[in-house]
Amino acid sequence: MFELLNEMWSFAFMRRAFVATTVLSVSVAPVGAFLVLRRLALAGEAMAHAITPGVVIGFVTAGLSVTSLLVGGLIAGIGVASLAALLAAKTILRRDASLASLYLIALAAGIFILSAAGSAVPLKSFLFGSILGIDDASLILLGGVATVTLVSFAVLLRPLIVSTCDPVFFESQTRRPWLVEQGFMLLLVLNLLAAFKTLGTLMAVGLMILPATAARYWAGTITGQLALGFVFALLSCWIGLTLSYLLPETPSGPAIVLVAGGVFLLSVLLGPLGFGGRLRGPSKTKAKAETKTSAVAYTHPHGRTQ
Amino acid sequence: MPAVVQIRDLALGYPGLTLFRRLSLDIESGAALAVLGANGSGKSSFVKMLLGLVAPLSGRLIWPGGRPQAIGYLAQMTEFDRRFPIRVRDLVAMGAWRGFGLRCGPQSGLERAERAKQDRVAAALEAAHIPQLADQPLHTLSGGQLQRALFARVMLQDAPLILLDEPFSAVDQSTEAHLLSIIARWRGEGRAVVLVVHDLSSVLDHCDQALLLGGGDATHGAVETVLAPGRLVAQGYLSASQADWMFRRPAANTVSMVTANV
Repeated sequence: MFELLNEMWSFAFMRRAFVATTVLSVSVAPVGAFLVLRRLALAGEAMAHAITPGVVIGFVTAGLSVTSLLVGGLIAGIGVASLAALLAAKTILRRDASLASLYLIALAAGIFILSAAGSAVPLKSFLFGSILGIDDASLILLGGVATVTLVSFAVLLRPLIVSTCDPVFFESQTRRPWLVEQGFMLLLVLNLLAAFKTLGTLMAVGLMILPATAARYWAGTITGQLALGFVFALLSCWIGLTLSYLLPETPSGPAIVLVAGGVFLLSVLLGPLGFGGRLRGPSKTKAKAETKTSAVAYTHPHGRTQ
Repeated sequence: MPAVVQIRDLALGYPGLTLFRRLSLDIESGAALAVLGANGSGKSSFVKMLLGLVAPLSGRLIWPGGRPQAIGYLAQMTEFDRRFPIRVRDLVAMGAWRGFGLRCGPQSGLERAERAKQDRVAAALEAAHIPQLADQPLHTLSGGQLQRALFARVMLQDAPLILLDEPFSAVDQSTEAHLLSIIARWRGEGRAVVLVVHDLSSVLDHCDQALLLGGGDATHGAVETVLAPGRLVAQGYLSASQADWMFRRPAANTVSMVTANV
């Protein structure tokens, strides 16, 4: 075990990869948690595709730099998000349908431009990321995005919780409810861009959604959800990177997301709020609530052996 | 009694559809106004207009004491996320979510303020008769328990005006009676309560004024004058035979099951 770690960490690119994914896990965990809680899991996926043309145009016109990635991606992401919001508000289309229409156009345009320009960036690393080629600028981008994300969450956490749990109440209590919504979407785009280089367009959302949905099966509170989501994301990254190192032909992005998927499946089976809770009978908290609020004894639906 | 809000010459509706016009009334502190009407007559829109979420077609609101920082609000439960992972005490604390957020050392003012808020949460849970549920996750609550928790949240808002949109739609009789006693207590504390209801009997007992919407009109006044059978039929709240059944037999007035437009 230690020999493996020693060997792996003797390579500078592996050390960088571990640092990069650790910072990334800190940053994407809260974003992923609220994507899931706000029922925006699929919208997150759509946004990941939507920023593709911006990033591609940035690459084609300004070269492979972090600045071109950031500027192009932000323009495309904010553009698609606000256009989708506009269509949902002013036309008959609902939000999911307008976002789906726009991101499909954006994704097609992105791949089309990338191929037509005969770009030097191989399509595969674009779609699935290349964690092995992370440079200083990418690390700085990651650190910057993580800092902005954590500070924003410190400020936004309370309104985010209220607006997610009870949107109508939240709207009634604040003059500018859209600030929270749009601020969160901006954080989403920033984190997608940060994850873009390491995980690629297709895998970027994986590290947000899967640890968050897995944590949902264990955590009864927001604090637990956030903390556990981070732990799961970190575990997925570290194990995924190691796998990708041991099997040299495998890309790191899918390896990380597959490990996250494994954590998710285990959580479905074992978590107290998944099937695990049902197999073990009513959970302790639930049983306590039953006895406290009603005098009727609880009979287990599957038998009388309790 | 001083007015919390004065409504002047109000018209409400959407482009192409006017729900009612020329409504003027004062909502006084300590008063309870029942808002009645058939589905689609503008009851919820009226409440949202008071919150500032819906703009009136014309007319204005005057807040003699300034628009309050917080307006107590209990919405219909359709958009509420019951699977959200928080405990009941956190849901109740949401009523004061603007207050303070950062946790600091034990000696700081923020920590004291946070502790004072937790005390208020405990008191509100006690008043709602659910102190034993404080640490339960939300998804284990029954409809009646959740409604009690939401009433406790309104208490945390400490608002001079409280708007309740169909608060009894999912609760049993004994819970309703208890929630009505909480409303009576709020009135005693000088808070104005606006109550959107379907059930006539609770209105008669616990509100002093009524606003009947429907048929393109809005009628406001004392409960006894507004709830005349002829008016209820004319504004589409009751059918003629329902009104006949309710008002011809005195005993029927005490039956608490009459719902409009069934």
